[in-house]
Amino acid sequence: MSETYRVPVGPIHIALEEPVYFKVKVHGESVEDVDILSGFVHRGMEALVLRRNFLQNMIITERTCSLCSNNHPFTYIMAVEKIAGVRIPPRAEYLRVIADEVKRAASHLFNVSMLAHLVGFHSLMTQTMETREVLQDVKESIWGNRMDLGANTIGGVKYDLDKEQIRYLIKQLNLIKKPIRELTNIYSNNRIVRARTEGVGLLPKEDAVRLGVVGPTARGSGVNNDIRAIYPYVVYDKLNFEVILEDGCDVRARALVRLREVFQAIDLVEQCLRGLPDGPVTTPGLPRIPEGEGVARTEAPRGELFFYVKSNGTDKPERMKWRVPTYLNWEALKVMMPGNKIADISVIFNSIDPCISCTER
Amino acid sequence: MAQFFTIALRNFLKGPTTDPYPFGETYTPENYRGIIAYSPELCIGCGTCEYVCPSGAIKLRHHESGMNFSYWLSTCCHCGNCGYYCPTDAVFNSNDFHTARAQSEKYDATINDDIASVQCSRCDAMIPRAVDALLARAYDEITDTVRHRASLCPDCRRLEQFERMYL
Ligand code: SF4
Ligand code: SF4
Repeated sequence: MSETYRVPVGPIHIALEEPVYFKVKVHGESVEDVDILSGFVHRGMEALVLRRNFLQNMIITERTCSLCSNNHPFTYIMAVEKIAGVRIPPRAEYLRVIADEVKRAASHLFNVSMLAHLVGFHSLMTQTMETREVLQDVKESIWGNRMDLGANTIGGVKYDLDKEQIRYLIKQLNLIKKPIRELTNIYSNNRIVRARTEGVGLLPKEDAVRLGVVGPTARGSGVNNDIRAIYPYVVYDKLNFEVILEDGCDVRARALVRLREVFQAIDLVEQCLRGLPDGPVTTPGLPRIPEGEGVARTEAPRGELFFYVKSNGTDKPERMKWRVPTYLNWEALKVMMPGNKIADISVIFNSIDPCISCTER
Repeated sequence: MAQFFTIALRNFLKGPTTDPYPFGETYTPENYRGIIAYSPELCIGCGTCEYVCPSGAIKLRHHESGMNFSYWLSTCCHCGNCGYYCPTDAVFNSNDFHTARAQSEKYDATINDDIASVQCSRCDAMIPRAVDALLARAYDEITDTVRHRASLCPDCRRLEQFERMYL
């Protein structure tokens, strides 16, 4: 068949978790070009935050997205702290990393389990989710919610770990090491998974650099832009870790980066628990935010997250802007998709770990 | 495939991983941020919770005999901000997660309590109470003098201070 025609995928589609609309130009079975339309879940958050005070916005930013929910308030608070000139206590810095890395591990496991779901390997998906459930229990037991940890506050963190909680955390992390090793083995060697991921959705390194993609999407193409390493914040400069890079440039490489980062996250949590200094977890009193501007960047599970906050001396921000990783990554879909089969669209889409609700805020 | 069979076999031997809820018990962590619990006898009506609540679930209103605290479950996002900032722990998240309600009961899931004022121990002005939890934040030790001063309205307190120092 030599006919070229257009297939609409989305905005509501069984293979997509979130509403986005692809206009796919196909030639026979293979994709020739793709056009992405978005804006279906716009919530006007950037306008909303201007009507709320700085303390309410810690919670509102957390509701931007569920999977990197911790990074939004984290980054927002770092920007606000820069304006206010607040230095948080050392213990709080470690606790911030612990919360963030637990979230990262859970987020990455969610993404790879979606990959298993999309390639039709459902028992692998449930098994990955089952393993992730241990982390969900950890989050629920320590922070009080499965997704929105509410860990950070302006001037420190809202939670503290006692001896028993630390023991519990270590125990649960040890519990999932073996299952994740097994799963990683299946994701990298299983015949079905390999057939559907190897050589699929190629993003050559030059294109990754040209498009400025971020997070595991970039690291799967061998581009190191891990903010934790190149622009360390809180205590990442004191922790011992190496940026994980893969050079396969395909869906498989991106999944492997994520799986290896799960181990890295567990290791970082353990390092933080070992080095956890004593002391207070917040600065005393309620913060006063003077007039000023601040920016902050962190490495969210999906890539670099950037916040800009402008305050005018009142208790509400004058302007807030955040740039989320998916915004940069979905441009890469136009490079990844052409040449692949229609059936691979959702697999490739999933490989950038898209978060539409972040992007459209 | 063989790799997966070992996992499947292990799972088979382990039995179900889900809890039989609602027919049996389920695990609820102690720290779970569920429905708000409120103790009017600890509340001083400072309004911090209303100020930090992002979803407008808490409202404090003044009326003739004091203040009124109201909370509506259906608009609460269980963020825990109110409990974190409340100076006296009068409000906090309990670990009750039973938030499902019939549509007909949607507007009944509220907390509505009066924060009673007390009379100044010297004049007849009505003032908010100073509870011990609040005094403990300000003073190392809550002595009778502290308690006595806390029972006065601001005017009488000023007057008494003046009498003590200059008369
Ligand atoms: S519940 Fe707490 S924060 Fe709210 S008004 Fe009462 S004392 Fe203040
Ligand atoms: S938990 Fe959050 S949303 Fe609910 S009443 Fe408290 S501050 Fe408001």
